[in-house]
Amino acid sequence: MAGYYDHYYFPPSRPRSVKGGIKAQSKRGPFGQTWWGRRWIDTLESFSIGARLGRGKSYARSGQVMFIDIEKGEVHSAVQGSRREPYGLDIQLKAYKPTAWKKLAESLREQPFYVARLLAGEIPEDFEGVMEEQGMPLLPARGNDLKMDCTCPDWSNPCKHIAAVIYLLAEEFDRDPFLLFELRGITREELLFEITGAVAEAGKDADETEETVLVSTPLKLDRHFWEEGAFPDDLYGVVRTPPAPAALPKRLGKFPFWRAEEALLDVLEPLYKKASRRGLGVFREEDDV
Amino acid sequence: MLFLHLGVCDGKLFLWGEAPPGDHSTSGADQSLDFPYAATAKALMSAAAEGGLRINVKNAAPLHVWLPTWDDIPLPSSPLVADTSSSETEPVLTCWQINAIALSAEEAFHFLATCYGKEMLAPGVILGSDVRFFTKVVRLASALVAREQFLPGLLERDGGFQAVWEPAFVGNDSDKLTLLAGAMPQVCRALTHEAETARGEPSSEVVSKITCVFVDYLVRLSWMDERPTRSRSHKARKKSFPSVHDQWIYALRSWDGSMSGDTETLRYLAGQIKAWRRSVSTSTLFRLSFRLEEPEDDDPTGAWYVRYLLNAADDPSLFIEVADAWNPGKQTKTILAKRKGNIQEYLLTSLGHVSSLHLVLEESLKQPCPGGATLDTAGAYTFLTETAWLLQQAGYNVQLPAWWSSTGQRNRLSVRTSVSSPTMRSKGLFSLDDVIDFDWQVALGEEKLSLQELETLASMKVPLVKIRGQWVQFDAKAIQEAVEFWKKKSRNQTITARDAVHMALGLAETPEILPFKGVEATGWVGDLLDSLEHGADIEEIPVPDQFTGTLRPYQSRGYAWLAFLQRWGFGACLADDMGLGKTPQTLVFIQHNWETNAKRPVLVVCPTSVMGNWQKEAAHFTPNLSVLVHHGPRRVKEPELFQEEALKYAIVITGFPLLYRDFEALSQVEWAAVILDEAQNIKNPTTKQAKAARALKGDFRVALTGTPVENNVGELWSIMEFLNPGFLHSQEKFKRRFFVPIQVDRDMEAAERLKKITGPFILRRLKTDKTIIDDLPEKQETNVFTTLTKEQGSLYRAVVKDVSESLAAAGDIQRKGLILATLVKLKQICNHPAQFLHDGSTIPGRSGKLTRLIEMLEEVYEVGDRVLIFTQFTEMGQILQKHLQETFGREALFLHGSVPKKQRDRMVERFQEEKDGPLFFLLSLKAAGTGLNLTRANHVFHYDRWWNPAVENQATDRAFRIGQTKHVQVYKFVCTGTVEEQINEMIEQKQDVADSIVGTGEKWITELSTRDLKKILRLQKGAVQ
Repeated sequence: MAGYYDHYYFPPSRPRSVKGGIKAQSKRGPFGQTWWGRRWIDTLESFSIGARLGRGKSYARSGQVMFIDIEKGEVHSAVQGSRREPYGLDIQLKAYKPTAWKKLAESLREQPFYVARLLAGEIPEDFEGVMEEQGMPLLPARGNDLKMDCTCPDWSNPCKHIAAVIYLLAEEFDRDPFLLFELRGITREELLFEITGAVAEAGKDADETEETVLVSTPLKLDRHFWEEGAFPDDLYGVVRTPPAPAALPKRLGKFPFWRAEEALLDVLEPLYKKASRRGLGVFREEDDV
Repeated sequence: MLFLHLGVCDGKLFLWGEAPPGDHSTSGADQSLDFPYAATAKALMSAAAEGGLRINVKNAAPLHVWLPTWDDIPLPSSPLVADTSSSETEPVLTCWQINAIALSAEEAFHFLATCYGKEMLAPGVILGSDVRFFTKVVRLASALVAREQFLPGLLERDGGFQAVWEPAFVGNDSDKLTLLAGAMPQVCRALTHEAETARGEPSSEVVSKITCVFVDYLVRLSWMDERPTRSRSHKARKKSFPSVHDQWIYALRSWDGSMSGDTETLRYLAGQIKAWRRSVSTSTLFRLSFRLEEPEDDDPTGAWYVRYLLNAADDPSLFIEVADAWNPGKQTKTILAKRKGNIQEYLLTSLGHVSSLHLVLEESLKQPCPGGATLDTAGAYTFLTETAWLLQQAGYNVQLPAWWSSTGQRNRLSVRTSVSSPTMRSKGLFSLDDVIDFDWQVALGEEKLSLQELETLASMKVPLVKIRGQWVQFDAKAIQEAVEFWKKKSRNQTITARDAVHMALGLAETPEILPFKGVEATGWVGDLLDSLEHGADIEEIPVPDQFTGTLRPYQSRGYAWLAFLQRWGFGACLADDMGLGKTPQTLVFIQHNWETNAKRPVLVVCPTSVMGNWQKEAAHFTPNLSVLVHHGPRRVKEPELFQEEALKYAIVITGFPLLYRDFEALSQVEWAAVILDEAQNIKNPTTKQAKAARALKGDFRVALTGTPVENNVGELWSIMEFLNPGFLHSQEKFKRRFFVPIQVDRDMEAAERLKKITGPFILRRLKTDKTIIDDLPEKQETNVFTTLTKEQGSLYRAVVKDVSESLAAAGDIQRKGLILATLVKLKQICNHPAQFLHDGSTIPGRSGKLTRLIEMLEEVYEVGDRVLIFTQFTEMGQILQKHLQETFGREALFLHGSVPKKQRDRMVERFQEEKDGPLFFLLSLKAAGTGLNLTRANHVFHYDRWWNPAVENQATDRAFRIGQTKHVQVYKFVCTGTVEEQINEMIEQKQDVADSIVGTGEKWITELSTRDLKKILRLQKGAVQ
């Protein structure tokens, strides 16, 4: 990231601009679209730090945050403020022990609903109750559950830099609730393994899948050497322009830690529309391509 | 001749070709290549140009290809490249060097789009199975793009990164790659840079990569095309970007998509993309399915059940109950174990996704090991109407009860109308303008519902109800609307007969909500509909005395059918198989029409090559009807004069080219009937010919064709619009309502609807139909009369002039020689100028006979029959062989005097036995006239004549002999107005005499007097086009 420093002069009260920082994807309004994102922010907002919250929000939206690393029990980040050197900051939240997670996994096995919704990207509202029953709440309950530290000269903790990171985290948690679990000490893959007793697809070693992809196979010398085999009747499916554009990327939801100026869906939607029209024309042999 | 191929090497497409070694226009003397069929780069380039590709010869480079090889000779893709049949050893794969041209995605895409659906790109340029295979890949790619089944991605390859648009094979598409890979010819992956071992990229990889290439190209094309400056060379590399995400979306919208930068950062982006796409890239091993099950009849709760099932991707018939999958029993365990992967994760994720679609789905997950969900009737209704669709959209498989999903059954409520009309007592009393009684009724399946029952239904809360043992779904509001429509329609309880007929044929607009199930008619309208729809009880009509032929029973029916449609004012398309006698059926009708209706002329429009035939047939069958051939430079073109002239005749014959050129004259006459022979000539509705045909004035319209018109949706509109204007709506509407649903969506219901509308007006009988097979003689001989081209005519005249002078001066012995030599010359000219001139000049368009032969072979080719063609000239055989192969792209065998015995046997064996073997067999009359058994052929053409019936019959008997299971059609070609016709007539008129005088040779001709001789040699009027 060192290459992205900006050398122009700015009055000290304004932060130096960062190129390609992480940008909040909600351009206005409150952060935290989900109930858990909202609860995460509530913890921050329970501190009386005044205007720092607003500054933090605009830092989050303008891309001052240069990176966010989520690890078990802690988050590392760097935020570009008004000084030349960006500030480094840490946020800590208690991570639970593997034995505790194991116990939780057992109780979740009886209620597939929770895991299913989690895998589908949603934390059911009564889930926190299930966690609390096990004595391991997922979200911080009060301010001092979070230990925060920033290298900026501001006496206030949390400062606006920490606030910016917390807001961005809220947006990422909205998108992928498993990031919260990771912070609490268990990854998506580990949790799945505990619940289903099998290795999660995404957690598999990359080497293992590569092994199955053969580089080459021997050529077969049979009548199919020069001839086509049979084609299924429904090879092409029902070819129509879908009623709503870009349904597939919309189904995928937000992109992790998006940094670009334009929102991804704003880029994709017109493109999908045009492509579909063109594809249909070619398929119906109406276009001379 | 050139066989084009397309193969993949290192993810790139290469164009290459095979050329017959003897063909100097395509086959090269490139010493550096060891491949004996190497096509020259120049030949590849000009072939590609036929596909709209402009490639630089410089792009050609040598490449290797693994090919099956016998004794160091590569086995070609087609015997047209080389005949390697002599080898008997097992083939092995050997590596050969070829010329290949690398194609960019853009080039390949456009080239393949041009090739789609074709077997040949141009005469002599034949598309290999590999090219045809990739045209389907292009089609799949365009289908996926149209359906928006693609996602942005990032590929790391060749040490760089590239932003790409990748196809997303999800839901119903998940098995498409496997299916496509299974159909791929091996040769597609046989190209290689290094020739070490006979291996290639796996088929699935090839298909996957190439689909990706085309999807990527098409998405970029659709985006870039609309930008004002279409700069393709613009590289993303030099720009700087605030973030890697900016760079990614920039690259996705650029032409080449390449991304440069820190490898670590780009790999991190790849990881993010993978995480983002996680939910659509789950299990490829199983698909979650939902099956809605009706309540059991004795179940007091009346509960419906949605059962969760897992469907194996590699075995579509294998379903596992999800209830079993959580804690699998032994059997399920084996099935799951065979397919590795975390099935529980897939189940949980999928169920998590769908649980928000329907409350009961969510509830079911609150139990351990959920296996399904219970619904009440209202819930079932929601599931049927909404959830099922949403589930399908999300890529899951949904199975609904048959009464709901099967096409046409989904809504079993339907409307029928009934009309009653007086009984037909004597014909001619009724007309379509008559007003008849009309009523309508709603029915459930076969049972009629009263209006009151209907209103009860409409007031029910859940529009899903079991009536008389059947579940029925209905939309109360729509029912109300439909009821209103029909009430209004039947206000007067009457309707015109025409409206009733149109309604019965599906021509009338009816509300779609209550499917219209037809008209029940009594009385004469009922009889009329019965005759129209099922051809039932069409009254036979007597054959006019003036008609001199005899009709076979099916021909009498065809004649009656024409008269029947004419009586009711509909146009008719007679589409009988070639050889069933469309011409006599038409002529007897013309005679009948002439006698019973106003004595006005009919217009026959046909290809120039068959005008002579029509004239002959008319003279033969209807000698009392005067015929005007409107053709040639001296024809009357001035409209008023033409009208005056035409009205003097019973039949006016003209050619298609004049239809437009002389339209002003032709449209001046109110024809008793307009008849188009070979009506496929107007298949393209936008041509001037087709427009002119539609604009002619005629009381009755007939289209004659031997091709199966009813199967070609695209061509049907034009012919129907000529016959019965407006029946298929405007071309636009036709395209929307029929063409696209049938051709693109394979909508069987639309196809049925179209058949219902067009069926009554198309009569197509095949030689193999049970109803006519008994009427046919086992062998049917027909003379095919053709005309000469101008070139043929002037050559002919020159030879005749020459011989007239020489004859006078010749002695007796010289005379015989001279006459025989002249006969040969004239026959050659009738065959083809190139045969006479021996100059190897171009073939197409110079011989009327050849043109007609090709037209007839096209019809035979359509139905896949096999053909023998006899000629007495080896040179003509060679010309025909080359021309047929280049025209049809299929092998044509040629057996003549200098073919060694072993090879003859092989040819016969191949023709008789080989699967997908040669369709055309050319034979020299002398070399193959006896002995051979060629019963796989059921068409025999005598291209030129030996004028000796015994010899010709012997030749015909190669096909017509024991072992022949089909009827044999024999066509004897005769050039009108030439010596061919003269001698043909002499033989036919005195068949018995001929047998004795003719003997075995043609010597008898030399014994004719000089006067007779001059008479038969002279070129008659009407011989030349």
